[in-house]
Amino acid sequence: MSANTWTPADTAGAPAFTGRASAPPPTPRTSRGNRRQKPGQPAAFLIPAIAVMVVFFFVPSVYNLVYAFTDWSSFKSQINFVGLRNFDNVLSNGVLLNDLKINVIYALLVAIFQNLFGLGLALLLEADTRINRFARTMVFIPVLMSALAVGYVFQALLKPEGSVNAALSFISGQDVTYGWLNDTHLTLLWLTIIHSWKWMGLAMLIYLAGLKTINSDVLEAARLDGAGRWQTFRLIKFPYLAPAVTFNVATALLGSMNSFDIVQATTGGGPGQTTEILNIFIYRTFGQGLFAQATTMSLVLVVVVALMAFPTIIMLRRRERVL
Amino acid sequence: MKRLHKTLIALTAVGLLTTACSDPGGGSDDSGTKKTASAWPAETAKLDGVNLTIWAAQNSNAVAKQVAADFEQKTGAKIKIVTVPDPYEQSVQTKVASGDKPDLAFWQPTASQLTAINAKQNLQSLDGAPFIDKYKPALKDSTGILDKTRYAALVTVPAVEGVWYNKEVFAKYGITDTPKNFDEMVADAKTIKAKGGVPFYEMGGDKWATQWWVQVQLADAAKAGLWDKVNKNEEKFTDPTILDAIKRYKSLVDEGLFNKNYASATFVDQSKALLDGDAAMAIQVNTFFSQMQAQSDTAELNKKIGFFPISPKGNVGTVIPDQSNALVAFKTGDAKREAAARQFLSYWMGSAYPGFIKSLNTVSIQEGVDTPATVPEALSANADSIGNSVGSMQVLAVVNPDLYLNLANMLAGQASPSKVAETTQAQFAQLAQAIGTPGF
Repeated sequence: MSANTWTPADTAGAPAFTGRASAPPPTPRTSRGNRRQKPGQPAAFLIPAIAVMVVFFFVPSVYNLVYAFTDWSSFKSQINFVGLRNFDNVLSNGVLLNDLKINVIYALLVAIFQNLFGLGLALLLEADTRINRFARTMVFIPVLMSALAVGYVFQALLKPEGSVNAALSFISGQDVTYGWLNDTHLTLLWLTIIHSWKWMGLAMLIYLAGLKTINSDVLEAARLDGAGRWQTFRLIKFPYLAPAVTFNVATALLGSMNSFDIVQATTGGGPGQTTEILNIFIYRTFGQGLFAQATTMSLVLVVVVALMAFPTIIMLRRRERVL
Repeated sequence: MKRLHKTLIALTAVGLLTTACSDPGGGSDDSGTKKTASAWPAETAKLDGVNLTIWAAQNSNAVAKQVAADFEQKTGAKIKIVTVPDPYEQSVQTKVASGDKPDLAFWQPTASQLTAINAKQNLQSLDGAPFIDKYKPALKDSTGILDKTRYAALVTVPAVEGVWYNKEVFAKYGITDTPKNFDEMVADAKTIKAKGGVPFYEMGGDKWATQWWVQVQLADAAKAGLWDKVNKNEEKFTDPTILDAIKRYKSLVDEGLFNKNYASATFVDQSKALLDGDAAMAIQVNTFFSQMQAQSDTAELNKKIGFFPISPKGNVGTVIPDQSNALVAFKTGDAKREAAARQFLSYWMGSAYPGFIKSLNTVSIQEGVDTPATVPEALSANADSIGNSVGSMQVLAVVNPDLYLNLANMLAGQASPSKVAETTQAQFAQLAQAIGTPGF
C-alpha cells in the first residue's frame, strides 16, 4: 500500500531520480540515429573517480607488468629490460612454488572457516532481538580493526607464556606451554582461524542480509508441512543463500590469497618458513633490494589469483541458477 | 575507427610509462661522487635553523642521543633521531628506494650493505674527514669503504663473532683454559654435557645468530680467500668448505650439545641463560654483551662472563661491523644540511669523542683516547681480538644472502644442510647478478 502513496515530490533531494521519473516514456527505437540515451549527468563528473582509478590502480598495474621484465634493483639507478630472466629465476627457485602452495592452503582454509563461522553466527543471531543486535555489533568489531593490530594481539595471547596457555592451564589444572606460533605443522591452521575470526563479522552480515531476503511465506509453508529446523535450513535457507555464498566464498578465498599483515605480525613466516605465504616472500625480496624480482612474483600471484577466481566464480554462479 | 583510436591511446600510454621507467631512489646524478673532497666545517660552527634527521634501529637509537643533544646546544641545529622499525636494513632500503632519505643513518659499514643502499648514488663521500687519521691503525681502513671511497664513519668498535662463556660454569666442570681451536671447544662441550650441563645456547626463534656458527668455522678459509672465490662464482655454498661447516653445526645440534629449545629460544633468553649459568657458551656478537650489560653490572660481568675468538685451526675472530657501529651521510640535495651532517660527524668523532665512549662505557677506537677503566673485561678481550681477525661474509662477500634464515629453517627441522646451501647459493647468485658481478 505504501508504495502507492509515494510521490515523486518525496524525492526532491534526488534530482537524478525525479528526472527519470518525470521523463517522457522512451520513444520506440528507430534503426539509426538517436542510439544513445542521454546520460543523467555530464560525463565530466566521472573525471575525479577515473583520475583516482588511473593514478592508484591503472598506472601501478601497468608498472607492475613492465617492471617484471627489467632489472630494477636498489643497487643501481639504471633500469634495463632483461626479457624473461626474472621469470626464469623466480620459477626455478623452489621457494616461490612452496610459498604458493602454502598460500593456496591458507586461502582454502580461510574460505572454509570464515564461511562456517559467518553462517553459524548469522543463523544464531538471525532473530531481531536486542541481545542479538548487540552481539552482531560485537562480532563486527574485529572487521573494523587493523589487521596488524589483530596480529600483534594474537601474537601476545598465543606466546608460550601468554594468556591462552594460562587460561588452558587454569582449566586443565596442568601446566600448558604449547607454542601456538611455533608448531611447524599446526601454526598455519591457527593463523587461518585468526584470519577467519577477524573477517567472520563481514561474512555474518552478508549471510544475515541473505536470510532476510527469504520470503516468509516460504518458511511458513515449510513449517506447516512439518519441516524441522535442519530440514528448513538444508532445503530452503541454504539454497536461497546461494548468492551470499558466492560473494563470501569468492571474497574470502581470493582476499586471503593476498593476505600479508596477520601472518607478518604473528609469525613473520616462521617457524621454518612453514607459514611463509607469497606476500611475505615478496616483501622479503623487495627488502633485499631485488625490486624487479619482487614485482615478477607479484605478477605471478596476480595470475594465480585470476586462474583461481574464474572457475570459482563461474561454479558458484552456476549454483545460483536454480533460484 | 573508434576502436583504433582507443588502441592508439592505450599504446601511447604504455609507451609513456615505459620511457618513464626510472628509479625514484636515484634522484641526484653521479657527478657528486667524483673525487671532489667536500669541505668539513668547524665542529661547532653555528647552524641555527638547520634541522637534521638521523635514522636508527631499535638497538641503536640511544647511541647518538647524548652527542646529538650536546651538538644542538653548541650549534643551534635541531637533530631528530627517528627509530625505523625492524628489520631495520630492509625498512631503510625500501624507504630509500621510494625516495625517502634522512641526513644521517646508522648503517652496517660493510661493502655488501653499502652496495645494497647504492652508496655511490645515495651517500656522501667521507674522504678527507678530519677524524680518519685518529682511528687506530687496525681499524682505519678495515671497513666503511666501497670501491676506494669512504662512505661510513665508524663510531664504536666493530663487533667480533666469537664465544662468550660463563666463567663459573667452566670452573664448575673443571675447564681451566679456554679452548685453542674449534675441536677443543667441542671436546669441552662434550665434557660439560657428560657431567649434566648445557654446553651451547642457540636462539633459533630470533633466527639471526644462527649464521655465526657457520661463519666462525669459515674463519681460516676466509683468511685464505674463500669469499673472493665465492664472489667470482668459482666456489659455491654447496661446495664442501661451506657445506661441511653447515653440516658440522647440524651434527652438534643433533648430538644434543645445545639447549633443548634451540629452535624457538630468543635473543633475550640466550643472554639470560648465559648470565644465569644455565648454559656454558654462546657464539655471538657484541650486541649480545650489551644485552647482558642491560641486565647486570660491570663487577658481575667481570666475575662471570669471558670472551674468546674461535676458528677451526685456532683463535681467529670474525669481524662483523654492525649497524650500531657506524653512520652514513646521505646526499639529500640540500648543500646546507649535507654540510651540517658532515659537521655533526666531525664533532662526534672529534672533541665529543672522549665523552661519548665514557657515557657509553665502551672501547675507544681512536689513538690517544683511552678506553674507560670501567669497561668490562670481556668487551676489552673482544676488541683486542680484532688485531688477529678476518672479515665475515658480510664484510668480504659482494652481497649478503639470508644464510641465517635458511639455517633457522634447518633448526626448525624444515631443511637439510644441503638444502640450506642450495637456497643460499641461489639467492647469492640472484643478488650478485642484480648488482652486475662478473661471473654471475
